[in-house]
Amino acid sequence: MANPQGSAFGHVCTDSKFQIPNSKLARGGDAMNPNLIWWVLYLPVLGFLTQALLGGRILKSAGPKQGRKILGILAMLPIALAFVVGCVVFSQLAGLPRDARHGVTELFSWISIAGLNIPFEFLVDPLSMTMVLIITGIGGLIHLYATGYMAEEKDYPRFFTYLNLFIAAMLILVLGNNLLMMFVGWEGVGLCSYLLIGFWYRDVANAKAANKAFIVNRIGDWGFSLGIFLLAVVVGSQPGVVESSHGRILSFDTIFANIVPALQANPGLATAIALLLFVGACGKSAQFPLYLWLPDAMAGPTPVSALIHAATMVTSGVVLLNRMHVIFELSPVASAIVACVGAFTALFAALVAFGQTDIKKVLAYSTVSQLGFMFVACGAGAYWVGMFHVTTHAFFKALLFLGSGAVIHAMAHNQDMRNYGNLRKYLPITFATMFIGFIAIAGLSIPGVFGFAGYYSKEAIIGSGLANNFATIDGVNLGYYAGWTALFVALLTAFYMTRMTWLTFFGHEERWRKIPAGAHAHGEEHHAVEEESLHAESFGPDTHNFYVDHAHVDDHDEHHDLDKDHTPREVSPSMWVPLVALAFLSIFGGWFLAQGGRFEHWLEPSSGPTLIGKISQEPEHLPYLSLVGWSAVAAFGGLILGILVYMNGLPKKEGWEERKWNPFRRWAGHQFGFDSAMVNASVQGGGDLSRVAWRFFDVKIIDGIVNGAGYVAGFFGKLFHRAQTGYVRAYALVMLAGVVGVLGWFAYAAILSGGGR
Amino acid sequence: MNGVPLIAYLGLGLLMFTTGVVGVIIRRNPIVIFMCIELMLNAVNLTFLAFARYMPTKAVPGVLAHDANMAGQMMVIFVMAVAAAEVAVGLGIIMAIFRLRNNVDIDEMNLLRG
Repeated sequence: MANPQGSAFGHVCTDSKFQIPNSKLARGGDAMNPNLIWWVLYLPVLGFLTQALLGGRILKSAGPKQGRKILGILAMLPIALAFVVGCVVFSQLAGLPRDARHGVTELFSWISIAGLNIPFEFLVDPLSMTMVLIITGIGGLIHLYATGYMAEEKDYPRFFTYLNLFIAAMLILVLGNNLLMMFVGWEGVGLCSYLLIGFWYRDVANAKAANKAFIVNRIGDWGFSLGIFLLAVVVGSQPGVVESSHGRILSFDTIFANIVPALQANPGLATAIALLLFVGACGKSAQFPLYLWLPDAMAGPTPVSALIHAATMVTSGVVLLNRMHVIFELSPVASAIVACVGAFTALFAALVAFGQTDIKKVLAYSTVSQLGFMFVACGAGAYWVGMFHVTTHAFFKALLFLGSGAVIHAMAHNQDMRNYGNLRKYLPITFATMFIGFIAIAGLSIPGVFGFAGYYSKEAIIGSGLANNFATIDGVNLGYYAGWTALFVALLTAFYMTRMTWLTFFGHEERWRKIPAGAHAHGEEHHAVEEESLHAESFGPDTHNFYVDHAHVDDHDEHHDLDKDHTPREVSPSMWVPLVALAFLSIFGGWFLAQGGRFEHWLEPSSGPTLIGKISQEPEHLPYLSLVGWSAVAAFGGLILGILVYMNGLPKKEGWEERKWNPFRRWAGHQFGFDSAMVNASVQGGGDLSRVAWRFFDVKIIDGIVNGAGYVAGFFGKLFHRAQTGYVRAYALVMLAGVVGVLGWFAYAAILSGGGR
Repeated sequence: MNGVPLIAYLGLGLLMFTTGVVGVIIRRNPIVIFMCIELMLNAVNLTFLAFARYMPTKAVPGVLAHDANMAGQMMVIFVMAVAAAEVAVGLGIIMAIFRLRNNVDIDEMNLLRG
């Protein structure tokens, strides 16, 4: 980075032009130096460039083992430093009076044409800073973990190049002060997600999964970009806005200062913009029906699953809704749809999770389900609650994913829970931390006194759904039903997480010691099997010479595949230290943030509703029990059900032979046919459509026009070809006739005009 | 002048030109066709010269009569030069065709027939 001295070119916009009606947003930034925030971006970019440009050279000159160590530090350091810078800005921001927590800093003018001016600008406010801390904090821990997890990876610098680039793109997404910058980050994280899912790209299944993620996300981006265009049209057509904002019509301050009257006059427009933005959020945040890509994204390395597909990228839809919450507040219809889609996604994914045997797939569907929870809260108008769950979910889901990675690592890259059992004996640290994550996600608590991270946010989500009547269509309070659905899904969550935990860590049966023949190629989790078999292969004769560096493998003693003599071993410190840190956050994070509404008050300037009234998280009366009681019933009910079913190890009905499963579980394992239906509809249907277009439109119409033109020319050619006799005298005769004709015409004209006299 | 009126020159030119045209159209020997073309060119030349000679002295305003007369005569020089070039090229083509086909009958050269 040339001259990264932020204050040298950044400047704080101080015009106080914009003011939202009844808004709590205000522009301050006198005691804060938002220019410092650019360092948060510079550092990961610097790390990205280091890895990309120097990675191979360092690896070559320092040797594979030493080189990986250096590169790991070089990858981690920028993220850690960015976290420190983020903390500094965060504390400066927190030191300001509440209404002044808003600063904009511009680096350069990015797009400047008549009537449209898009600066490269960052917005420092509670929402963006919360996300910055999550991204750099959790991201840093995952980087640390990845140095251990990927230690045998040959393509080490490529991995960390992508990872650092991802962090940079994600920071642009959350910090950008206009929709276009957000879109740049949006696409950047999509690209990195694609690159990382397809990291082991020599395996066709991984490449296909990467393509699927990229293509499904395009549908969301389509909605998002249409939403941006519509917003630009609406804002830009307001009289005087382009002039007074100097063309910054896509910057958030201009949008929120001018959009409200226009959309209040035209609620249909508000609904249209809100729904288009929600389509974008659905794509990135894996909501039904665009969740399809996320389970397949588990083909990527596990740290990637933790970083991108659990903690950060998938939450960007929630960030978008928080950012644009004014528009959603103007459209109860769109909000009701958001809540319903969220509730349905939560329910659907939770049910599908029961049919999964791959530990990462269970967590993937659990992620989809938890994202559904967040959208229930956002739909109900409790935007900060969505962010609260984003935060706590980042703690415990990153923990669970990294823990599952540790398990997978210890189990020779076998991901099937049917091979696990009794692992608490071998992996004490992983077990302890993952158990904390399990309690956190299941929402187990001492009701009303203390709970782990997920307890507080999940209760707030259910409460905000049940307590409010904002998400309403035609007087039907859909948010309320979404709240009850969420409560039921909370029970399912506890149930399937118990299933996962008990199958993995409990029971006395060490099931990998008696893997049935052919089990490796079993089931629908072909990605997992592929990954496993590739790794198995790489420990043997590595035909690709791609996955593993032989020189490094030799001094590693866990080379064998999973068989009856396999002894799982606890992972290295670089992998369990992040687990412990995340476990700590999972225990105390939720409690700390919920104390006295700390998180709510913190986020209120940026996420608090500005138009609709107060959004409560505590329903006044519920049938039979209070909210605390109901959520305790859901959590403990799920736990007890789970323990009852899975206490004695793997039930016979969930064994290796899928034919013997009960029909519901089998159906759930195949996502109730939805995935294959969608894939068939798009791939097969797209093929059929193309064939129709080819056979009818292309052959008949396009080719018809071209051939028709040729035919017409040929027709006239046939008509006139007799005239070409080939005899010179014939041509001469025609020429003579022409000359006589022309001269005759001249003579005739001359006579008419008086013969020149 | 000298008692020969302009119409006599133009009449002779017309006769020569018509002879040339009819010759080009009806003859089959390319050499003869060439001669007919020369006849036409010279008919034009004769006409040019006749007009130049008989041009009224002050026909073109702003241009000296002498110069105006010279223009017609210059045109004849041009025509002669072009005719010479044309004959050179044309005879060359005829030679080439003769070498190729051993025959220069113009009615057998109809490769352009559609």
